[in-house]
Amino acid sequence: MTPPLLQRAALWRAASLGLWALVLLISSVDGRLDLLLRAVFHPLVALAGLLLLLVALLQLRLAFGPGRQERGDRRQARTLLLTAAIALLVLLLPPAPSFADLAGQRPRDETAESELSFVLPPAQRSLTDWVRLLRSQPDPKLFAGDPVRISGFVLPMEGESPQLARLLVRCCLADASPVGLPVHWPAGQAPFPADQWLAIDGVMGLRPAPGGGERLEVVPSRIRPIPRPARPLEP
Amino acid sequence: MVRSRRHHQPGALAGAVILTRLATAWALFQGLLIEALPFLLIGVLISAGARWFAPGGRWLRRLPSHPLLGPLTGAALGFALPACECGNVPVARRMLSGGAPLGAGLGFLFAAPVLNPIVIASTWAAFPDQPWLLLARPLGAVVVAVGLALLLGLVGEPQLLQADLLAERRLHQPLAAVGLLERSSGLVGAPPPSALSADSAPVRPPLAELMKHASQEFLYLALLLVMGSVIAALVQSFVPRSWLLAVGGAPTLSILALMLLALVVSVCSSVDAFLALSFAAQVTPGALLAFLLLGPVIDLKLVSLLGLLFRPRGLVLTTAGAALMVLLIGQWVNLWRL
Repeated sequence: MTPPLLQRAALWRAASLGLWALVLLISSVDGRLDLLLRAVFHPLVALAGLLLLLVALLQLRLAFGPGRQERGDRRQARTLLLTAAIALLVLLLPPAPSFADLAGQRPRDETAESELSFVLPPAQRSLTDWVRLLRSQPDPKLFAGDPVRISGFVLPMEGESPQLARLLVRCCLADASPVGLPVHWPAGQAPFPADQWLAIDGVMGLRPAPGGGERLEVVPSRIRPIPRPARPLEP
Repeated sequence: MVRSRRHHQPGALAGAVILTRLATAWALFQGLLIEALPFLLIGVLISAGARWFAPGGRWLRRLPSHPLLGPLTGAALGFALPACECGNVPVARRMLSGGAPLGAGLGFLFAAPVLNPIVIASTWAAFPDQPWLLLARPLGAVVVAVGLALLLGLVGEPQLLQADLLAERRLHQPLAAVGLLERSSGLVGAPPPSALSADSAPVRPPLAELMKHASQEFLYLALLLVMGSVIAALVQSFVPRSWLLAVGGAPTLSILALMLLALVVSVCSSVDAFLALSFAAQVTPGALLAFLLLGPVIDLKLVSLLGLLFRPRGLVLTTAGAALMVLLIGQWVNLWRL
């Protein structure tokens, strides 16, 4: 006897395609894409979702059309069931990556561009702007005393105190690379856990570097724990 | 170098660390998958469009079968079909099942992910100050594609291509071109009747049939893409990338390391140049080019998709041949640029 799934292959195909369309469309509106992909790709994902939805609706029409009861084979049935299950799983289990864990696996971003950071007043520079600026201007004395207002997540470091970091993404999370700034954490305060997002106001101060010499560190005057921003990845 | 302290913590926390890492791998998987799905859809729609506009695929069989001209023509078709490697697989499958000469199909499969306007533009956008790369990447891709087409051409179609692809392909080839033992139908000895020959008038498939085929193909390819993305995400989460980039300055080792990275990272060719930008300063130029050449031909995410075209022997030959050619090109570039 033919299993019921195979008797209505078009219906199941419509369901499976519809689920994948939902994955793409819901990801586009619920902020999930902000966590996974660079913003420039978001319209492409939404468009693909709409196209898939259209195909799914056409399949649905086919499934209920007159005399269209179509029989599939078992391989087809396996594909349909598996893809539908995976799409459902992706829908129900949104991504919850640990940025600190990911950053710990990746080498630091070494992009040499300095872009427009120079024209920004110090208090408006983001963490990424600061990192790029310090890389292009290696003399730390130039920036000592500058005001700092940045946000990022706590990234534990091997052999030194945690840094405040951001992830840079050029395409998707798979290519994320971290940038981080050393912070002179107030003495006596309990350490913040990895991945905790913080907003820090303070100044740049010259401190002894772990490897000898001096380096710039953020000397906070105010540290506020904040929720993860809606768009946590930077280009 | 930024490194986490987590993997040095004692065993009591190991479970929590693994859970955290699995959660990160799940996010990486979703990132890879959602980024690739639109390109896969483009590829499937192009393939369906080709079936609609040129139902018999007669033009496919008119592509040159010359060992060099075939792959070069296939590679040039990339300019007309702006899809990256995931989207290319369904189009290449359509070409081969429609009876295109093997060399032309393989040339398209391997070179078109680089030789297309989107990829060339993104390479230029990522490396505007390195014009040599803009020339070397497409040229290298053509060399690798022609080399692979010649290599795989030596194997013979029955040993190279998957059985169902081969069966579809035989339907579109003139009976005279198919060996007696390979025929599944037709009259032995007699000339093929004109009604059955490959040049019979093509019938445009009904829209419903076309859509059913495209939907099924998309879902099947998506399943393969899921498998590839799972493997790529797990490997990326559990193998620190700094291991691969630690050898950045050594000429040969850096090429090998970046080739391995290209296999693991599995991002589409349309965006891999931006990824390469993040470590371009740390590695040799040959290694950078090797990364940009190998990824579009083979990576973890693609293995299952390519399994739709090739038997295991074809997959192994593709991987080994591409790796060897890319290594040689990388070495040559290092001699020239270092």
